Amino acid sequence: MNGMHGIIFSYEMRNDLRELGEIRSASSIPFGGRYRAVDFALSNLVNAGVTDVGVVLHGRYQSLLDHLGTGKDWDLSRKRGGLKILPPFAYKQSWGEAAAFRGKMEALAGVRSYLAEIRRDYVVLMDGDLVVNLPISDIYEQHIKSGADITVVCGNDSFETENGTYFEMDHSTGRITDVLYNLHRPRGYRGLEVYILSTELLLSLVDECASRDQYSLRRDVLQARKDSLKLQGYIWSGFAAQIRSVQEYYDRSMQLLDPAIRADLFCAERPIRAKATDKSSAYIGPDGYCENSLIGDGCNIEGTVENSILFPGVVVEAGAVVRNCVLFKETAVRRGATLSYLIADKNVEVLEGRTLMGHSSYPIVLAKGSRV
Amino acid sequence: MKKECIAMLLAGGQGSRLYVLTGDMAKPAVPFGGKYRIIDFPLSNCTNSGIDTVGVLTQYRPLELNSYIGSGVPWDLDGSTGGVHILPPYMGSKGGTWYKGTANAIYQNIGFIDLYDPEYVVVLSGDHIYKMDYSDMVERHKAAGAACTISVMEVPWADAPRFGIMNVDGEDMITEFEEKPKEPKSNLASMGIYVFTWQVLRKYLEADEADPHSENDFGKNVIPAMLRDGQRMAAYRFSGYWKDVGTLESLWDANMDMLSPESGLDLLDESWPIYARSVNAPPAFLGKHSQMSHSAFNRGSIIEGAVENSVLSPNVTVGEGARVAYSVLFPGVTVEPGAVVEYAILGEGCRIGKNCRVGGTPETTAPAPWGLAVLAPGCTLEDERQVRPGVMLGKNGEEVSR
Repeated sequence: MNGMHGIIFSYEMRNDLRELGEIRSASSIPFGGRYRAVDFALSNLVNAGVTDVGVVLHGRYQSLLDHLGTGKDWDLSRKRGGLKILPPFAYKQSWGEAAAFRGKMEALAGVRSYLAEIRRDYVVLMDGDLVVNLPISDIYEQHIKSGADITVVCGNDSFETENGTYFEMDHSTGRITDVLYNLHRPRGYRGLEVYILSTELLLSLVDECASRDQYSLRRDVLQARKDSLKLQGYIWSGFAAQIRSVQEYYDRSMQLLDPAIRADLFCAERPIRAKATDKSSAYIGPDGYCENSLIGDGCNIEGTVENSILFPGVVVEAGAVVRNCVLFKETAVRRGATLSYLIADKNVEVLEGRTLMGHSSYPIVLAKGSRV
Repeated sequence: MKKECIAMLLAGGQGSRLYVLTGDMAKPAVPFGGKYRIIDFPLSNCTNSGIDTVGVLTQYRPLELNSYIGSGVPWDLDGSTGGVHILPPYMGSKGGTWYKGTANAIYQNIGFIDLYDPEYVVVLSGDHIYKMDYSDMVERHKAAGAACTISVMEVPWADAPRFGIMNVDGEDMITEFEEKPKEPKSNLASMGIYVFTWQVLRKYLEADEADPHSENDFGKNVIPAMLRDGQRMAAYRFSGYWKDVGTLESLWDANMDMLSPESGLDLLDESWPIYARSVNAPPAFLGKHSQMSHSAFNRGSIIEGAVENSVLSPNVTVGEGARVAYSVLFPGVTVEPGAVVEYAILGEGCRIGKNCRVGGTPETTAPAPWGLAVLAPGCTLEDERQVRPGVMLGKNGEEVSR
């Protein structure tokens, strides 16, 4: 049976997410006033006709498990195939310090028996913390046409990412000529950690790496085998955010206030699906004021909101002012409080009259459930 | 699989008093309160009341309703031993008929009900906005040892002649039923919600069917027949928010009520959630020049203009310099820059061209007769068009009389 199988990697503690990463993996971080980061990878795959997706867990995955459920919201709850959650303990029998894998190849070796059951000829590897709307069918088509062993999807913007992988490319052939990371000053294209390769090749690479205790996809496969394998680049010029630090999270969130970015990320041909919620409509009161903001379901705005992103159920009481903020689900901003350049995790309450000001270069983060 | 109680939801009516809004869909499928459809209320009430088996009787234009209900997942009604079932009229070996009336619709589905062999059947209609615990009503039914329990609410005496009125004794047992009495003896109006002891109802449905003169209607035939026979009929008093949204005006009123929890219709209260099939769209975006006040809005919407005292469904666009006031906008409506919409109901997917004027306030319309402006789903108005208050337009922009 032809087609693609999806594998999504979910990493614990991606570098610098501070309080946001303490309770969840980057894959389940809320993004864009309604979504979790992993919704993007899942939707990208489903929109390309992928029906089988494995999610490889790492650590702090309770929030992700809770979000994924049976996969019904992405039509991935199926009789055959569908969503499979692959816990990190599968690959080694021992608990303890060895519980988390060191890299993607080791993670894949851990789920070798799952890989052996793949029904499709090709596999798409993606990261759960990549916020993007890729035309995976087109990338697949290019992969087949170019005769590549591995197609490497690269971003094309000025953003850098923490601990990113960079690729240099021969523009006449599209072939990847060098694979770089840990660069002091990045050069080449920023890799989005999205790869397409044949299931057969993936299995043989997993086995070869395992036999040499090699665990890193970028070092042991891409870098080490860049000459023996045909690595072909696919350049994506649209929005593509890798959420690995608070700063990156904040900057990328604020970009969504630009209609052109939203048109790209939420394009109608490839809808991003999210978990259904049961909140009522959002409401703005007689004296409420709101401009240049994204507002989720069930928000109740009696105060002022500017340049902000409000997730469902946020309450902004009369006289409160919220500017340049990202407020997660059920945040309550009480009367007369003033917030700016701040990210509030779920269920935060900012009491009457409090003032909290961050800066665009260092947004304040309020941990889940905190009361200020 | 035996169930103690199942619900039958009458959703086959056309809702002709909603005119163009129900041209292509049954009344229960009409949008309400931004993100809902009318049928979300009885379906959610069932789930919240612990009723997991619901038959939905459809007849008029069922396409929209069928696809909306789907497998019943949004209301948790997709269980393996019950769930929601769509029940259209069907052919049998001796032919078949349309549902001739409310009682006949249930009669034709005796087979469905018998599958669950229930003690009690709750009969609901699909055109009311309210939150009610049916299990409490069933408790009242059991405690009273009744064959039938009818929920009633007190209405202002002046309005009583417009309703079916129940006269009760000291124990709230119904002694008399009067349809639209000129001189009402009580102000307890029937809400069209019934609990029946199934084996009793079953007999009356068969008798009713055998009577060639019957209109096969609960209110006109079955309830009076049960009263005549001296069956125990209990009233169940309900005091929360309840509104029949069978007319354009009442539909508009109920939407406005939703904006003010003081009206009693509090949709933000999560102790009794109303579920809906959710639309896939990003959060609503309020632009740099948007001015919204006392309004509800939903995902997928892009608001650049002014909106006040209005209810906006998902995927609504209001352009810069446009103004929407005291209006109800169904899903996918576009109001282009500079247009003004006042006191209007705009059907799904309407497009209001630049600088159009739709409807008006009662004050500015006087002394000419005033009313809501209503546009059929899919109606497109070319730029600069004027639609006077009280005017109704069909799908192709033609005027339709009420």
